[in-house]
Formats: sequence, structure tokens, C-alpha cells
Amino acid sequence: MEIVQEQHGDVWVFLIKGKLDSLSSKALEDQMATTLAQGPKKILADFTQLDYISSAGLRVLLMTAKKLSGSNGSIALCALKPSIKTVFDIAGFSAVFQIFPTPSEALTHLAGK
Amino acid sequence: MTARILVVDDEPDLHGMITQKFRRQVHNREIQFEFAGDGVQALAVLQNIGAIDVVLTDINMPGMDGLTLLQRIGEQYPLTKVVMVSAYGDMQNIRTALNRGAFDFVTKPIALDDLEITLRKTLQVAATGKQAARDREQLMFLQRELDVARSIQRAMVPSTFPPFPERKEFEIHADMIPAREVGGDFYDFFLLDDDRLGFVIGDVSDKGVPAALFMAVSRTLLRATALEGLPPAECLTRMNRVLCLENLSAMFVTIFYGILHFRTGEVEYCNGGHNPPYVLRCDGDARMLATSGNLVVGGLPNSSYRATELTLQAGETIFLYSDGVTDSANHQDEQFGEERLTATLKCKTKASPAEAVQSVIAEVKAFSGNAPQADDITVLALKYLGD
Repeated sequence: MEIVQEQHGDVWVFLIKGKLDSLSSKALEDQMATTLAQGPKKILADFTQLDYISSAGLRVLLMTAKKLSGSNGSIALCALKPSIKTVFDIAGFSAVFQIFPTPSEALTHLAGK
Repeated sequence: MTARILVVDDEPDLHGMITQKFRRQVHNREIQFEFAGDGVQALAVLQNIGAIDVVLTDINMPGMDGLTLLQRIGEQYPLTKVVMVSAYGDMQNIRTALNRGAFDFVTKPIALDDLEITLRKTLQVAATGKQAARDREQLMFLQRELDVARSIQRAMVPSTFPPFPERKEFEIHADMIPAREVGGDFYDFFLLDDDRLGFVIGDVSDKGVPAALFMAVSRTLLRATALEGLPPAECLTRMNRVLCLENLSAMFVTIFYGILHFRTGEVEYCNGGHNPPYVLRCDGDARMLATSGNLVVGGLPNSSYRATELTLQAGETIFLYSDGVTDSANHQDEQFGEERLTATLKCKTKASPAEAVQSVIAEVKAFSGNAPQADDITVLALKYLGD
């Protein structure tokens, strides 16, 4: 897994590449914790290049969402491959997260918040 | 901690030289010296005191010589480093000593500054070796703890099959293979009364010890709630509320809880974010149930859980599994996947639950070969035989 982090205005974008499994989830968890400590309100997790997500990866996303909602922030996801969308549907996460087809649609949504 | 050095020499002048040279370190309790006149005395000191870090020994001594002593120390005190004192140019003895495991050597007449450097370096290596031995011991201790945890966890899921031999209306079988010593998966089943069987599969996010603790809580909570006779959706709702309390790491569990009315074949179930099970039909079809849309359990405190119903015909099997089955990868990093699982199950629609369980596990193992198992693998099959 590789994480590329960028800022678009007040939105912090995490481009997560490869496999988000129980090993790599720890790296994402640490990086999210470091980022959240800097007090951002809007996070976009860009899944354009994400090939696999395990329940450990879902846990990190849920934890991020919970922390953000506690500080009136928000998180959005975009560009889920069909296999990843299936994982989200099964776990019931599709109804919990704001999911957009493309990064630009997600950014427009977050910018308007 | 004070380092301990044993000096072995039959000539007493070395004793005085060393005491003089290292008097500050001795005074500051950095080093404590012991002295022996030959190999036999040295072994007695080692036996009485034990924790000697470094032995500085002459080669030619009456009684037991230095080379024999070196060998004995290597056999009995592998963590103790030995520095030889040899005559200048005595290459043959030096080579023998090094080949027998001596750490270093100094030559006579001893240059005390050089000796100090040699001893300091040797003490450092001895300390590193001792630390490594302590770490290894600690690891072995943890390993034993994990082995105990593993057997406790194994005892938390039913393992006697058939579990209800007096029941002719159904057969049930299950198996679980954790990826590490302990895992986050579980299964369970229990008779609720004379008409109903509860059956469960669960999968905690992540693996290892944290997941195992969460698994133990989840399994116990569900069993307690279920045995009160609450319907599946209420069980999961109640469990979700409890698990959400003070759950800082956002750990969650996916749970499928079903109740089979074994007089009628009706199944009432609630699926909290778990992989939808299959129904194996008598016509050879294996069909996956629809996704529930319910959130995982322990995720968000106010989630609501909806139940669904289905009816099993006599001879039909409901097959539950954790994603460790479909996510199992081979050396080419391909996953076992739903298609292979479906194909395997289609060949086993008439099989007994035990056979269905074992053949899925066998297929997954054959597919992944000796590639490391990344996730816990759990399967449960329940066949309705009719009233």
C-alpha cells in the first residue's frame, strides 16, 4: 500500500493505492491520527487506485469518521472499484459514508460544506 | 548493573595489577572481579556465582589448563565470553583457543591499556548476548501465553460433533482455522427450546490479540442475549449498543445470527454486515442470500437491524463462512473468491454438513498451497432434514 496525501483548499485528500489489509491499515491509522491531530475538518479518501480492503481497513475509516463527526468535520470517499463497493455494501458501510463516483464530485461536495 | 569478570591465573601478580588498574571501576561498582588460580577453581567460582560476564584466563596453568576451561565454559555457560592470555607469538594455542570459541586474546606481557579496551569491548558483546537471551526468553514466555489463550479460545466454540445426536431434524457442522495463534472469528450454536436452534457466525475487524478479546466479548454477549429468547434483530441491536460503549478503536464485528424452527424449516435471521451465506438446494444449485444492508455490529450506536426470513426445504443446507475463505490468496496473489466457493458448494449440495465444511476447507488449502494464511477461516453448515 502507498498513501499520497495532498491538500485541495480545506480538504485533505488521501490517495490510497494498492491493498488496505490488516498490515497496511496500521500505517493508514497512524497517518490519519497524525493528520487529525492537526485539526482538519474535511477528508477525502480517494480509492481510485485501491484494489482491496479488509475489515481492518474498514475499521480505520470508521474510526476516522467517528473522530471527524465528533469535531463537526466530515469524510467522503470516491471512486470505489466494484469489488470494494461490494465489501462496503455487505458491511453496511455504503449507507454510513458519503460515496462519490469521482474525486471531483467528492471535492465539490466537501467544498460546499 | 555491575559487570562481573573472572580472572584465572596461577601467578598472583596479575591479580594485583588488575586491582590497581581498575580500582575506579571497582569502586564505582561498574565491575566486580573474581580471581581463581586454575581451571578447577574457576569452574567452582562459575558454579557458585553463576552470572560471570567475561572470563580472562591464562593458558598454561597447573590442574586444569586454560584451553580445557574454555571448552567447559562453552558447554556450560554459553553466554559467558572468554578472553585468553597467551605468551607472545604462541600462535598455535591462540588458534586453538579461537577455534574453541574464545572471544579474543591478549598477549603477555599484558599492556593494561590494551587490556582495558579488550575487556570493555568484550563486556559490551556479553551484555548484548545476555539481552538477546532475555528477549528470547520473554518471547518464549509470550508464546506460551498465546498457546494458553489459543486453547481458551478454542474452548469457546463448540467442538463436539454431532452436537445434538438425538435431534433428527437437522445436522450441523463447523470449523475454524485462525491465521495466528488467536483470531477474531467465531461460530456458535445452541438449542433455544424444543423447536428452535440458534446458529451464529462472527468476524471481528482485524486479527490477533485485540480481535481475540473482542471476539470473546462478542460471542458471550450474543449467546447471553440469544438465550433470553430475543429475536435475532433485537439481539444484534442490543449487542450493538453495548459494544459501542467506550469502543475507542472503532473495533466492530460482523455477525450473522439465525434461528432455525426445526419443525417447519423456517429460518429467521439478522445479518449485521457479514458475508451473506449460501443456501444449497436439492437441485444442485448454491445461491447466495441477498446483502442485508445492516451495518456491522459495534460500529455506530444508533444503527437499526432488520431481520429477514426464509424457509429451508428438507434436504437444504444453509452455509455460513467468514471472508477468510474467499480472501485466501495463493502465491500468485489471486484470491479464492466467490466463484470458486460457489463451484465447490454446487458439488456439495447433497453432502452432509461435515463433508461440505471439510471440502471447502480442503479446496481453500489446495488453492492457497503454502502461501501464508492472511485471515481466520471459519465455516458452518446447517442442513435441514425435515420434521
